[in-house]
Amino acid sequence: MHWDSTLTILGMGITTYMTRIGGYLLLGGRTLSPRATAMMDIIPGCVLISVLAPSFASGRPTDLAGLAITVFAATRLALLPTMAIGIVSTGVLRAVFSS
Amino acid sequence: MRASIPVMIGFIPFGLLLGRQAVQQGVGVFSVPLMTGLNYGGGSEFAAVHLWAIPLPVALIIGVTLLINCRHVLMGAALAPWLREVPRRKALLWLFLMCDETWALSLSDAQKRQKFSVGYYFGVGWCLYGTWVGSTFFGAYLGAKIGDLTRYGFDMAFPAVFLVILRGMWKDHRMSLPWVVSLLVGVLVYRLYPGAWCVPVGTVAGAVTAACVVRRVG
Repeated sequence: MHWDSTLTILGMGITTYMTRIGGYLLLGGRTLSPRATAMMDIIPGCVLISVLAPSFASGRPTDLAGLAITVFAATRLALLPTMAIGIVSTGVLRAVFSS
Repeated sequence: MRASIPVMIGFIPFGLLLGRQAVQQGVGVFSVPLMTGLNYGGGSEFAAVHLWAIPLPVALIIGVTLLINCRHVLMGAALAPWLREVPRRKALLWLFLMCDETWALSLSDAQKRQKFSVGYYFGVGWCLYGTWVGSTFFGAYLGAKIGDLTRYGFDMAFPAVFLVILRGMWKDHRMSLPWVVSLLVGVLVYRLYPGAWCVPVGTVAGAVTAACVVRRVG
C-alpha cells in the first residue's frame, strides 16, 4: 500500500463523514429552501454524468452502439439485466466488428 | 433486519463489481475494503476507482467524493428532527452508518411509527455495511484472479451501474437540461483535455444550469 493511496482513502473517508454529520450539525431542525432542495436533487446526477463522459467520448462506433443499447436498457430494466445486456451486446459487437 | 434483505441482494453485484474494477484500475486488494469501510458511499467509490491513475489525482478524487456525497447533508438534515432526544455525541457516531438505503428505510419507518427506532436503524445499518464491505473485498480478491475482463465488454458494466443509479435519481424534467449540459460539456472537455478534468468542469456546468432552471421554474 502506498502513501498516496492511503491518503486518498483517508481523505475520502473524512470528507464523506463530514457530509454525513454536516446536515445534522448545520441545519439541525431547520428546513432547507425549496430551491436549495431542488439543487441538491439535481447536482449528484451532474457529477455521475460527468464521470461517465469519457465513455460517451470514445469515438469508437462499436462502443457507442453498445453504450446506446445500455442506456436504453437502463431506462427500463433493473441493475442486473442492464449490466448483462450492456456487457453481452458490447462484447458481441466488438467481436463481430473488430476482426 | 428483514427489511434490509432486498437491499443486501441489490448491494452484492455492485460490491463485487466495484471490487473487481478497483483492482483492475490498480487499487490494492486490501485498500478496497479500507476504502469501502472508511468511506462507505458506493457512488463516490465507483467514481474514485474510475479516476484512479498514476500519478494519483488525490485532490480530484477527494473533491469528486465531496460533490457526489453532498446529498448526505440534505439527508442528515431530514433525519435530524427525529434524533432530537438522542445525545449529540451518540447521534454523530450513529450517522457514520447513514447511506442512501439505511436513511430511506429508517426515515420511512420513523414516519410510520412516529418514532425513530434505534434497533431498526442499526439492524439495517450494520447489515448493509457488512454486505458492502464484504462484497467489495470479495470482488477485489476474485478480481485479482480473474484478470482483465474489459476486453470482452465487461467495461460496459460501469456505465450500466451509473445509468441505473441515475434513473433512480431522476425525479422530474427540471433535471434533464442540467444533466444534458453536464454530458455535453464533459464530452467536449474530455476530447480537448483527456484525463479527469471533464468531471469538475462538467459538474460545475450542470450546477450552473441547475441554478438557472431552478430560478426560472421555481
